[in-house]
Amino acid sequence: MILTLTRRALMGTALAFGLAGAAAAQDFPDRAITLVIPFAAGGSTDVVGRIVADRMSQELGQQIVVQNVGGAGGSLGAQQVAKADADGYTILMGTVATHALNPLILKQKPYDPVADFAPVSLLVLVPNVLAVNPALPVNTVQELIDLAKKEPLAYASSGNGTPLHLSGELFKTMAGVDITHIPYKGSGPALTDVLGNQVPVIFDNLPSASSHISSGKLKALGVTTAERAPSFPDVPAIAETLPGYETYSWNALFAPAGTPPEVVETLASAAKTAMADPAVVARMAEFSAEIVASGPEELAEHVKAEMTKWEPVVVEANVSLD
Amino acid sequence: MSTRQKDDTDLIAGIGLMAAAAFFGWQTIGLEIGTSLRMGPGYFPMILSGLLFILGLLVTIKSFGREGEPGTPIAWRGILFILPAPIFFGLTVRGLGFVPALFFTTLIASQASVKMRPMYALVLAVAVTVMSTLIFSYGLGLPFRRFGPWLPF
Amino acid sequence: MDLLSNLAMGFSVASSIANLGFCLIGVILGTLIGVLPGIGATATIAMLLPITFQLEPVSSLIMLAGIYYGAQYGGSTTAILINMPGESSSAVTAIDGYQMARKGRAGTALATAAIGSFFAGSVATFLVALFAPPLTAVALQFGAAEYFSLMVLGLVMSVALAHGSVLKALAMVVLGLLLGIVGTDIYTGTPRFTMGITQFADGLNFVAVAIGVFGFAEILRNLEDEHEREVMTRNINRLFPSRQEFREMAGPILRGTGIGSVLGILPGGGAILASFASYTMEKKLSKTPEEFGKGALAGVAGPESANNAGAQTSFIPLLTLGIPANPVMALMIGAMIIQGIVPGPSVVTDQPQLFWGIIASMWIGNLMLVVLNLPLIGLWVKLLTVPYYVLFPIIMAMSAIGVYSVNGNPYDLFAVAFFGLLGYIMSKLRFEPAPLLLGFVLGPLLEENLRRAMILSRGDPTTFVTRPISAGLLVVSLIVLVLVFLPQIRKQRDEVFTESEG
Repeated sequence: MILTLTRRALMGTALAFGLAGAAAAQDFPDRAITLVIPFAAGGSTDVVGRIVADRMSQELGQQIVVQNVGGAGGSLGAQQVAKADADGYTILMGTVATHALNPLILKQKPYDPVADFAPVSLLVLVPNVLAVNPALPVNTVQELIDLAKKEPLAYASSGNGTPLHLSGELFKTMAGVDITHIPYKGSGPALTDVLGNQVPVIFDNLPSASSHISSGKLKALGVTTAERAPSFPDVPAIAETLPGYETYSWNALFAPAGTPPEVVETLASAAKTAMADPAVVARMAEFSAEIVASGPEELAEHVKAEMTKWEPVVVEANVSLD
Repeated sequence: MSTRQKDDTDLIAGIGLMAAAAFFGWQTIGLEIGTSLRMGPGYFPMILSGLLFILGLLVTIKSFGREGEPGTPIAWRGILFILPAPIFFGLTVRGLGFVPALFFTTLIASQASVKMRPMYALVLAVAVTVMSTLIFSYGLGLPFRRFGPWLPF
Repeated sequence: MDLLSNLAMGFSVASSIANLGFCLIGVILGTLIGVLPGIGATATIAMLLPITFQLEPVSSLIMLAGIYYGAQYGGSTTAILINMPGESSSAVTAIDGYQMARKGRAGTALATAAIGSFFAGSVATFLVALFAPPLTAVALQFGAAEYFSLMVLGLVMSVALAHGSVLKALAMVVLGLLLGIVGTDIYTGTPRFTMGITQFADGLNFVAVAIGVFGFAEILRNLEDEHEREVMTRNINRLFPSRQEFREMAGPILRGTGIGSVLGILPGGGAILASFASYTMEKKLSKTPEEFGKGALAGVAGPESANNAGAQTSFIPLLTLGIPANPVMALMIGAMIIQGIVPGPSVVTDQPQLFWGIIASMWIGNLMLVVLNLPLIGLWVKLLTVPYYVLFPIIMAMSAIGVYSVNGNPYDLFAVAFFGLLGYIMSKLRFEPAPLLLGFVLGPLLEENLRRAMILSRGDPTTFVTRPISAGLLVVSLIVLVLVFLPQIRKQRDEVFTESEG
């Protein structure tokens, strides 16, 4: 009796919410939207997020307020959006870390990357790059592999369990070499130590390393995408030496699960328009980011594919966080 | 102060340090110590806990044979109202929203002083809330909800 | 004469009416926000980033830089007036600045801070203009071993921060180091001392710890016996320093500027040490070291200069390498990228107008700050005449907002309450908060670099003495240690061992 009552009450509530949601969806958005960026301000996800938010605000006619909720490798921000009201007024700038790596790595799962979110749009793919200090006597990926087989080497990354760390681990597995991983707190300090030749090798996001590569302070050996990056056509893909090697970082918009489909659609089409803006296209090109601007279904597929791809790498590298 | 010479403050301080060291040491159990080459997450905390314990022991020992200074009264009323104020703000800022949470936080904090009269506290809390809302929410555009989902409107 | 023509170009960019305006807006906003307890430059710049999208790149960076040093400046004001340091650098200013304020010398302390900051800022800006590229090369020589040795030096010096028992100061440093460990181990990802709370995975928030142990503990102390004593003395003496005081502050300001300029260049925590190092040096050089901790003018002049010099020179790694020395610099990089500028070595050559414009604006901004703030001192000091029972609830409200605004994390507010209690207990047991705070800031850096150095040297601890810079720093640490523990000095210290409250 109590059970049925409760169930009925629940259904009633759900229905009421559903109706309210439908009503709200028609004039969505009628107030400011919060875009949660799960990393500190100033990083590459933040930059992509702010550029997109700025343009999407014009499209939607409502301000998109960027809120940085950093911490725990992006998990805190993602968790906050997962728990937020499913009305589309709180959305997340998800990344490969929040929606593929963390769920695989963390022993305690703070959220479910598939069940807790309504995918909106896959915005950009960002290549990573394998680079070395110019003092290291190697010019190609093959030479680096040969050197690593002869003497001990170390590589820097922006932290434990980050896409860059795992790119490095995948590289080690596929090349059959052992290179010591040295984690840093973010890309900046890692780059500093490689520029100062304290550590010879680095896996970094292409955007953050690009100016050092152009100026010759870093020697890029290969990009991690399957094809060469348009912004650096002279830098080969690692896959040219190690066929099948492919990693990249990505940024995508997510809403909490249960967000009305019309709202998701409004957001996705605003994102699509924003990403087609010539000014945004130019910024992303400078940033070496490849624009995708997909729809919700493609993003859902993408998340599944990414989780499938990374699982063996995570297992192989034996990375796990509590 | 007792008849035998000891510095009570330092005695408590030393014991407190040892207790803190014991707490951190206990929390270090289960963390991997590792080797000097590959220090585990427990290596550094273990050394520090040990060091803190030794320092606490030294402070304790030195507290004997020396006259302490008289203590000052303890601000019980302050502890009772000052410390819960930020906790209240933390618990309610998302639910009640910025405006009511701040109002009550100021009201609670103001009770810490015996000189604060109720009417005055109310006026002060309103003034602080209005000013802060204007400055932070409207002026700086901090992403706070002014009135949260716990409220009916 | 490249430099002169470059500087001339910089000034012509920075002194356009629009850019002067943005610089002014920046320093005013920065000062106002810095004055509010808890809200620092990082939060402010993050909030204001969207506004700058619509501006020219030069203008937006000039404004953001203005906010940065304006906030540094405003933070010192709060540290002096109500013992609420918002950043690690102003924690040192709080030690003697607040004591000066309690003795009715708030005006002098604020004026000293203003003058010291202006001088240090001007000199350091000139250094940036003159030596940015070669200085960067020096900074790159610092690897994990060097940073470790630098942090050791910092910790050794921190003992001199204490004006009481050396033993208890050491204990506070160690406790601070332990608190600094709270969070996720970067090498293995293991959570440490987090009590299973995910919100502490990235460690305790500095602002929460600082406001707790300094600010809240002070409020509690002031509420102990409200009827018997006034928190602030009513008779406030002159606002501006006398000729004698000017003479007193000259040396500390010069030395502070030197220390700050050097340490500010090091990305990865060098600037944190600047004000602490200056304080130690002044205390050691002073003829009246017993004055420190009770309102020594040199204890404000030196660290404030060092802090501001470091703030300026920390732009060097940003402008020449595109590498952020602190979170604010990381935000500036973000701002540049959003504006379509790729930060890095090419900025100087590709965007000379931007580079030199920012440098010139730093000097202009510092000038504005001093012109703006000297008259404000009277106003700030008046603030202290507000009855304390009215003032402290306002402080509490501002702190709550400030702490929450850093990360939007309610757990930071729980932490601030905890550290308020801890700070109060500590003060009851005559522990001092400054060494704890230094340990807290340095702890993670110390461990991170120690472990990294050991991995890079493949377990060979001699790496710390075979690398010349590292060895040099360790020798200096040893010298300082000997000085601190020389029995004579210790005896003298015990003689002056008295409670700082009065």
